[in-house]
Amino acid sequence: MKRAALLAAAVIAYMIAAWMVAPGFYDGFGPVQPYSWTCPPPQAGSNTRPSSGHAVIKVIGGVSDAADAYPNLDAQIVIGFLPGAFDATGKTTISVDITPLPTCPQPAGIRFVTNVYEIAASAPLVKPANLVLLYSNLEPAPADVYFASDPGGPWKSIGAAQQAQPYTIDTSTKSFGYFAAGYPSASPPPGAVNVGGGGSTLPIIVAVLIALVVVAGLPLAILRRRRSHDEVESEDEV
Amino acid sequence: MSLVLKRTHPGVRAALVGALVLCIEWARTSIQSQPHMAIAALIAGGAVLGAVALGTPADRLGLGTSRLGLRIVGGLAIGAVLLLPGAVRSGAVPILPAGLAVAAVAVSIGEELAFRGALYAALDEAGGAPLAIIGSTLVWTAAHVLSHPPAFLGAVAAAGLLLALWRWACRDLVAPIIGHVIADLAL
Repeated sequence: MKRAALLAAAVIAYMIAAWMVAPGFYDGFGPVQPYSWTCPPPQAGSNTRPSSGHAVIKVIGGVSDAADAYPNLDAQIVIGFLPGAFDATGKTTISVDITPLPTCPQPAGIRFVTNVYEIAASAPLVKPANLVLLYSNLEPAPADVYFASDPGGPWKSIGAAQQAQPYTIDTSTKSFGYFAAGYPSASPPPGAVNVGGGGSTLPIIVAVLIALVVVAGLPLAILRRRRSHDEVESEDEV
Repeated sequence: MSLVLKRTHPGVRAALVGALVLCIEWARTSIQSQPHMAIAALIAGGAVLGAVALGTPADRLGLGTSRLGLRIVGGLAIGAVLLLPGAVRSGAVPILPAGLAVAAVAVSIGEELAFRGALYAALDEAGGAPLAIIGSTLVWTAAHVLSHPPAFLGAVAAAGLLLALWRWACRDLVAPIIGHVIADLAL
């Protein structure tokens, strides 16, 4: 009885502690910081708007410095430049701006799973820049990074390298414009275990678990009680 | 190494097992943050954590096939409890990439074998159930300091306490393993 009471108290303590932080018990597999959406999916809950970024890159001796540019608050897209990545002719500095597109284009045949970001710079690239996009654990993993010089399209895949970190997709670009990660919408989402599929599935999973416990637990408990009762009776007979 | 541990004083043994488990978890977290290392670090970390339990008899770990049905049902119940706050709050199930799902299963089994298995058994031998419950919960929480923001540590500690209390109340590790795996796959 004491044991059951302590277990019940631990369940209540956990419920209170987990209620204070979303999503509750969390073992570190998803991104710690929720994705900031331009157009949040229904399952996202509360949402903060994605941020913009600005970087000023020094030009020393006619060669642009190595640098990274990313949004100030969420770093959901990071573009990295090697030394001499820009055509820095006649410049002392180069500015790079990253801005989330306020709308969410969904071109035919492509399903974007990230915001669309515009990256612009005051000088053109002469060496590829490394691009890393973070994506949410609420959407299937993207297969490619897509690029367009205009948000209306056409969008083309610029590929994807092996991901360096979970929930990131890497590629490189030689041009500035609009970038988003996604997958061809004609194909199923690549390489994902869809535990529930979003929407209202987590409550369904929990309800199924509870139902399984009730359906399987009651007969087991009754059987156990009968067995122990029989054992007591046989001991009495002895 | 398990032979060396067996010959030491129970208190020293418990401290050594705790330090070893903590070091493995912190090393795993550090390696996990390196590029291209996350899945490998999780799987290797789970295997190494599981190896800590080698040499400890299965019954002292809380493993066994007796009352298996009840243990499985208990695991489902623990999974439901761990997921309930998330289910009420968001209704959303995150989608794990396939490799990460395998890694999540490996590390959650390894963590249970290490914390509620080997460490719990060593602490129980050294100072009884209260020390085993409180000690394994404290080391479990400390092990997650590097991987979790401070705000999450209360929930981590409460989950550790719940799993350790189950381990004590039912003398069972099967249910904590099942519940932990379910929670890690969904969150």
